[in-house]
Amino acid sequence: MLTKDESPLTKGYQPVVWNFKLLAHDMLGGFGGMGEGMSVQMAPDGRRIIWLAHESAPKNFTAVDVSDPRKPKVVCQTDLPHANMRSNSLETTGNLMAVAYQTSKKDLKPAGFELFDISKPENPKSISFFDCSGPHSRGVHQLWFCDGEFVHCASGSRDFVPTNPNDDQFYRCVDVRNPSKPVEIGRWWMPGTRQGDNVMPPPRHPIDKGYRAHNTNVYPQHGDRCYLAYIDGGMFVLDISDKANPKKISQWTNSPPYTGFMHTVVPLFDRGLMLVTDESTENNAKDWPKLIWILDARDETNLVPIATCPMPDHRVYAQAGRFGAHNIHENVPLPTAWQSDQIVLGTFFNGGLRAYDISNPYQPKEVGIFMPPAPAGAPTGTIQINDVFVDERAIVYAVDRHVGGLYILEMDF
Amino acid sequence: MLDLFPSREAGPFGRRLKRERGARIPVTVVTGFLGAGKTTLIRRFLASAEGQGTAVIVNEFGAVGIDDALIRGAAEQTILLGNGCLCCITRTDLQLALRALVIDRERGVVPNFARVVIETSGLADPGPILQTFSTDRALGGEFHIDVMLTVIDAVNGEATLKSAAEARKQVILADSLIVSKSDLAAAAALDSLRRRLQQLNPRGGIDIAVGGALEPARFIAPATAERSGFVAEAEHSDGISSFVLERQQPVVWPAFSRAMETLIALRGGDLLRVKGILNVAGCRGPVVVQYVQHLAHPPVELQSWPDQNRDSRLVFVTRNLREAEIRDLFAAVEALAKDSA
Repeated sequence: MLTKDESPLTKGYQPVVWNFKLLAHDMLGGFGGMGEGMSVQMAPDGRRIIWLAHESAPKNFTAVDVSDPRKPKVVCQTDLPHANMRSNSLETTGNLMAVAYQTSKKDLKPAGFELFDISKPENPKSISFFDCSGPHSRGVHQLWFCDGEFVHCASGSRDFVPTNPNDDQFYRCVDVRNPSKPVEIGRWWMPGTRQGDNVMPPPRHPIDKGYRAHNTNVYPQHGDRCYLAYIDGGMFVLDISDKANPKKISQWTNSPPYTGFMHTVVPLFDRGLMLVTDESTENNAKDWPKLIWILDARDETNLVPIATCPMPDHRVYAQAGRFGAHNIHENVPLPTAWQSDQIVLGTFFNGGLRAYDISNPYQPKEVGIFMPPAPAGAPTGTIQINDVFVDERAIVYAVDRHVGGLYILEMDF
Repeated sequence: MLDLFPSREAGPFGRRLKRERGARIPVTVVTGFLGAGKTTLIRRFLASAEGQGTAVIVNEFGAVGIDDALIRGAAEQTILLGNGCLCCITRTDLQLALRALVIDRERGVVPNFARVVIETSGLADPGPILQTFSTDRALGGEFHIDVMLTVIDAVNGEATLKSAAEARKQVILADSLIVSKSDLAAAAALDSLRRRLQQLNPRGGIDIAVGGALEPARFIAPATAERSGFVAEAEHSDGISSFVLERQQPVVWPAFSRAMETLIALRGGDLLRVKGILNVAGCRGPVVVQYVQHLAHPPVELQSWPDQNRDSRLVFVTRNLREAEIRDLFAAVEALAKDSA
């Protein structure tokens, strides 16, 4: 165990920039606590706008003109209706944006998602609101919206009574082809998590974060599949060829012995691989290890973990804020998103942003680190890099969870 | 591996890299005869903004580490390899030192250095140092020699080059030549030294260090295979010659690699250094190849060409091996390969 004197954190948390070049940093007008919604729009007037969800109130979302990545400019920043909610997640498709609303307690409003017309980025116009509130629901935590037709989301609903209050959010597919009238067309939940299921509720984990949906990724390369992370339930591959009746194809979990909170599943179709991330949710790495896993997915019914992306010694980082895996660049199937099955970019809170070369998936190799100094006013005294998105120009956008706002980078490897 | 998990994004040589070193740690090797001014040059570099985050490895010939004492304090981490010359008895020490640096960095017990500078002893033959990075799989995977600089004293340099074969070899194999102490030398002597250096190494740029300092960018700029000013053939002393093979047609990789294998098998010991940028048929970007005697670095495909020129260029520094012989070998192998196809 390193002593406090030996730890880079207690030595003043030395920033590390390795094979990334910082182009710009924007504190977003003092509201730099950012969530896990990042999406790039090419506006009708030719500007490139990145839309960012906030981690918590008072702000809803922020739009930044990143046409020149060295000179970002905030063009829009909106407020939430009240402090007991957050808009952690958003996606854009063309000039449509979907924003998730999750309340801090059950039965509060607004809980659901809102659709906006963002053809004028300075003035987003609400088109509709899809209500997911209810006595057992906190609304929508995360959503996926890449085809302009369907919103796939992790949501509660008025008619869903979970067997455990922590299990309130499940997979829902909502048809938004008429954006002014969103209609739910399908749903799936892990058996045992809804009252009335004919199987026993799943056993709780020591750190109980709930058996509930997180990321709900769907890709056109395999449009009949949903790659569903289910927090303490591991992850599922769903057959959604009939969207009204999703069916489980397979499940993979690492917990126990790991500590749950599976977050994201990204298939790499050409290679028969799958990336799966955990999320670290406990300060001082109490839930260590939280990792990026690489699965051999050549047979989708039999997923085999073959490697994890290497992490630095957690004892060095276990002394301030969160440390461990969280989001990765998800190869969002849009022309404004970078696509790679060779490089994985992941966020690790106080471990910063890290890039891995997975050309040999059995031996992922770290090829880049961006661990900036703690931004002014950081409550943990460190950076807490929360999410990452890479645009088709290979420009990297990373956000801090608390105060640091937006970092714009170039990969240099 | 590629068969099991193929990727359309990768080329025949794996992931296409933005630059030759990929994500590896850049290494600057500083050679130069005893008293040429290597330590001063390194100290000045370490004091510059570009020099921040540099780990230094000092190799001294002798028991007392004077250079180490001069550099310590300026660098992130200084390791002294004492009592021997880097090129012979302490190559293992160099390997161990570099591996220890990486391990300590992973453990967080040394700061996150971004570059390594190796100061060789004045007597070092740079060839084996280059080889070290090819032979040691662990080192080759973590480190990449970006540039090898050779420092020449403006006052004594010419005499040293006349009397010491090691000094000549240092100049011949360098990517870049730095003339030090120019303020102490007469203009005529400096001109004469320049001419001699150009004779020995026409592809290496010559820089003048003013007051022991060099533009920091020159210290770290990666060497490229296609140095400007390269002349067709240069005959050096000691039977060493250098020349460049160029071709406009795309290179067929199997034929090229067979020719190089044959050359290495027959005369590997006389291939002091070969470096090139190839337009390989079927590859999107240029392929960088490097050979040091019997050893070949893994070829690297870059994401894009550095300029409009799409010709292949291969620089040879050889001993008792003439350009015509190598040209003939390549022509013969290519003809045989074509016939068999």
